[in-house]
Amino acid sequence: MAEKYVGQRIKRNEDPRLLTGRALFVDDVELHGMLHAAFLRSDYAHARLVSVDVSAARNRPGVVAVYTAEDLGDLWKPGPLLVPAPHSVENVVFHQRTQVPLAKDKVRYVGEAIAVVFAESRYIAEDALADIWVDYEPLEPVVDMERALDADAPLIHEDLDSNLCAHLAQEKGDYQAAREQADLIVSRRFLVDRGAAGAMENRGVVADWDEKAQHLTVWDTTQAPIPIRNGLAGMLGLSAHQVRVVAPFVGGGFGPKIMMFLSEEVLVPWGSMQFKRPVKWIEDRQENFLATTQERGQVHDAEMALTSDGRILGVRDVFIHDTGAYDPYGMTIPLNTQSHAMGAYDVPNYYTEVKVAFTNKMIVTPVRGAGRPQGIFVAERLLDIAAKELGIDRVGIRRRNLIPPEKFPYNHEIIDQAFAPLVLDSGNYRLALDQAVKRIGYEEFIKDEQPRLRAEGKRVGLGIVVFIETTGIGPYEGARITVETSGKISVATGVGTQGQGHFTSFAQIVADQLGVDVRDVHLVTGDTAEFHWGTGTFASRGAVVAANAIHAAAVAVRAKTLKLASKVLETPEEELELRDGEVRVADIPRQSIGLGELAVLANPLRGAVEPGTEPGLEATDYFGPQYGATANGAQAMIVEVDPETMMIEIKRHVVVEDCGTVLNPLIVEGQVHGGVALGIGNSYYEKLVYDENGQLLNASLADYLIPSATEVPRMEVGHEVTPSPLNPLGSKGAGEAGAIPVPALFAQAIEDALADYDLEVLETPLSPNRLFELLQGKEKAE
Amino acid sequence: MRLSGEYLFDGPREKVWELVRDPKVLTSAIPGAQSMDQVSENEYEGKMEVRVGPVAGVFSGRLVVSDEVPPESYALSVQGRGVIGFARGSGRIQLIDRGDDTTLMKYEGELQIGGKLAGVGQRLMDSASKSIVRQGLESMNAALQAPATGEEGKGNAPV
Amino acid sequence: MSDLYEVSVTVNGTVYQRSVEPRLLLSDFLRHELGLTGTHVGCEHGVCGACTVLFDGEPVRSCLMFAVQANGHQVSTVEGLGTMEELHPLQQAFWEAHAVQCGFCTPGVLMTLLPFLEENPTPSEEEIREAISGNLCRCTGYQHIVDAVLLAAEKMPSQGDC
Repeated sequence: MAEKYVGQRIKRNEDPRLLTGRALFVDDVELHGMLHAAFLRSDYAHARLVSVDVSAARNRPGVVAVYTAEDLGDLWKPGPLLVPAPHSVENVVFHQRTQVPLAKDKVRYVGEAIAVVFAESRYIAEDALADIWVDYEPLEPVVDMERALDADAPLIHEDLDSNLCAHLAQEKGDYQAAREQADLIVSRRFLVDRGAAGAMENRGVVADWDEKAQHLTVWDTTQAPIPIRNGLAGMLGLSAHQVRVVAPFVGGGFGPKIMMFLSEEVLVPWGSMQFKRPVKWIEDRQENFLATTQERGQVHDAEMALTSDGRILGVRDVFIHDTGAYDPYGMTIPLNTQSHAMGAYDVPNYYTEVKVAFTNKMIVTPVRGAGRPQGIFVAERLLDIAAKELGIDRVGIRRRNLIPPEKFPYNHEIIDQAFAPLVLDSGNYRLALDQAVKRIGYEEFIKDEQPRLRAEGKRVGLGIVVFIETTGIGPYEGARITVETSGKISVATGVGTQGQGHFTSFAQIVADQLGVDVRDVHLVTGDTAEFHWGTGTFASRGAVVAANAIHAAAVAVRAKTLKLASKVLETPEEELELRDGEVRVADIPRQSIGLGELAVLANPLRGAVEPGTEPGLEATDYFGPQYGATANGAQAMIVEVDPETMMIEIKRHVVVEDCGTVLNPLIVEGQVHGGVALGIGNSYYEKLVYDENGQLLNASLADYLIPSATEVPRMEVGHEVTPSPLNPLGSKGAGEAGAIPVPALFAQAIEDALADYDLEVLETPLSPNRLFELLQGKEKAE
Repeated sequence: MRLSGEYLFDGPREKVWELVRDPKVLTSAIPGAQSMDQVSENEYEGKMEVRVGPVAGVFSGRLVVSDEVPPESYALSVQGRGVIGFARGSGRIQLIDRGDDTTLMKYEGELQIGGKLAGVGQRLMDSASKSIVRQGLESMNAALQAPATGEEGKGNAPV
Repeated sequence: MSDLYEVSVTVNGTVYQRSVEPRLLLSDFLRHELGLTGTHVGCEHGVCGACTVLFDGEPVRSCLMFAVQANGHQVSTVEGLGTMEELHPLQQAFWEAHAVQCGFCTPGVLMTLLPFLEENPTPSEEEIREAISGNLCRCTGYQHIVDAVLLAAEKMPSQGDC
């Protein structure tokens, strides 16, 4: 079979709708008689709720209802735990404390919902929030994750003995023994602070309960419509078939839109059932800062043991992870951190231990990167520091330690976020590093350009790092593919789409199998009425798990098509080919039959379906990987620091990515660019600043700086391809790779640019102010 | 957030004392203040329109005076809140007789803010609170000069 | 409830007359009163640029204006550009260069760029980046948007006489 589309730079099928403003986003849903919801949110990070008086709000004209926790009846209970604790690890501690629909008795973070107003318009609903009077008794807030674990820290969940949410230690080999053999041990403390996902579209939910049909339709900006449907049905006492969840076009996801039955996602559908009217809630940007989940936030005490020639003997990493006030996402993020703190290296001995702390801050769940940037930051920074101390070149020390190609599959002997052994499936890590070295012109820069620029007084530096990204975890995804009587193909899959180009990359796979034009493949994603088995779009799994399910279904439809055509054309299947929307006899193109015609024949109006066959040219299939595929890559950058303003200009940025088989290079490059931009934000611009009282001080886009086109440089993207042996397409995920290594890269480049200060960057994100402070410290020390 | 400073009144200490302890004068002097009612000897309740950058709304608040040493000093605690968040603070005010019919006020305090006021207004809170204090003090000083207390000193001095 | 005001606004050449509350934002007016949902709202404080429309030909943030301010004025939104069958050359260039991912910021970016390209038909990369620096995009890292504008500048007919 000729691959006409897979691997090609195909323009996206979905773009004309998006470019002309005709694509449906959740806030575009307008229904007759629709009510609007608004939420009253806590002003305090930690306080007892003495009383909540909603009487005035209820009396405001245009207000239909105002509810507090007391009014919710059976609906009021903690939300589901989305990911359990890893049962396969011994001695794991995990205290499940998930969020509630509306706070009762106590608030645990600024922004926690206390009451909900349903009104005839959003304007009236917001007016009514001002009528609600809450009597708080402020409690001492626990903001710092280390302080949270102190024995005398105030308790966030008073039924626990401490603010310890979870504890997990894993070991590979014997780190302590390795340490004793080492010539050099570098140990440092690293801080990674919080940032926002910052999708341009805020969250939103529209729900429509049809009393006569006894059916609920929910439009939701979710990355995981099927689990949301199943969960909502359970909470609302409905059968799953009475609930349809649609994730239409979603304006960026990046993790928090997996949505996890936070207040709005539960109360808006519930409200629609109460009033038998449609209800809409659209988050505003400030709510997005206060009420949408966030990530990063770890403190690491890490060390690396090496030989004098720079071989890593072992890594030890003991860290605290801040989960915020609740823990609906289990231990996914710290498990990812544990899986990435060995970097792309052959590390024989590893000890990793995490304590997860509850704090009075917004809940932490995965944001693009999801624990991996923290791990890579630790691994790459330790190796940089070791290289300096040993006087070894930073590229050299990396080459020496990369997992060599002959060692794959490489078993790290700890478990990963899927609770499967962390086995790196395939790769040739050295190729990516070598390509990055070449593209950035490493040798020339170090030998000639940097000394020349430094002589001109310019502070220029280069960074070069390598990374891995575990992707494409199970459990599974599925797809149904149908040849329609028009000859066009329809594809339904359960994953939602938030800009990843699924309408195109998935169509490419199908078009190749069935020999049709890629524009004739119509995809429906994220609508549970079309397909209701699957999990969702996260963990860089679309191009692996969903794509391979689609591939499997397409192969099945192809087989059915050939079988029928063979009968009709009276030619053995081996002599047939699918091309241009037809099945033809390969040597005699005139002997052919269109796919549409075959579809009609496959669904006859008279006659019986033969036993053992099914009507139609349709197939449903699934794909569940044995374990995740691991992508890898290298990035390099050249920066210039302005010592007056501490502003940083990225002069060049090189990305080399190995995500196995590339379905559509245009889309992969787009994913890389966007990931790098977030990584730049995570490195120098984006930090959620909480004060000592747990107040978020930069809850607007004016104060929280998402990089604009003038901060993000032009990137040069190169590819290496080592296909994954774990799936037929050979694909690995690419969604998060761009973001993962950038903080480590940035730190190295800045240190290099400011070599005369002998600065060590041990935290991220930095900022011009913070860099200035660090340099002040240096000057004072000297 | 810390708030501290000094201000020189063109008048004798006893008169300044009367002024700063008069709810009517305070209502007219504090920018945005809409009402101030004495609810007990040392407690006042009132409403104030607060505007910090893009955040604006009415605060309901309570002010408690304690540790009074007339006409020299007193301590102050304030609590205010509204749909835009809350503010809580405490401080101490001292009046120093300079002997030349002028009075030096020294003030210092701590202010804690929360909610939208913190999330969106924080960047501007420092300058906004300083400006409120300065405008208030200037209006009171103007009232001090006026023959009849109160009315002329309406707190609408330009920033 | 507040009084209603009669407004007459010309959007993409069509005159719309509506009674609106004085506090109704122009963005909400376009989206919810007129059903022109191509204009998106990302921050409601004028930073993200998603809601950019042309107001008498000039790009403005429709979330920072009230509908009543548009009374008697001309507004252009993304719906007034090309159609799905026949894209505007700028839209076509966005398609070809893969300048769209989730597509939420896209209408605002397009509306910002239209007058920019009219004024500067052959911009440099730096000028393009400057021009869209008030439009936040979280998906693309901007590179393909810049490429699309360079491509559009090549392809678009000179607009000297419009």
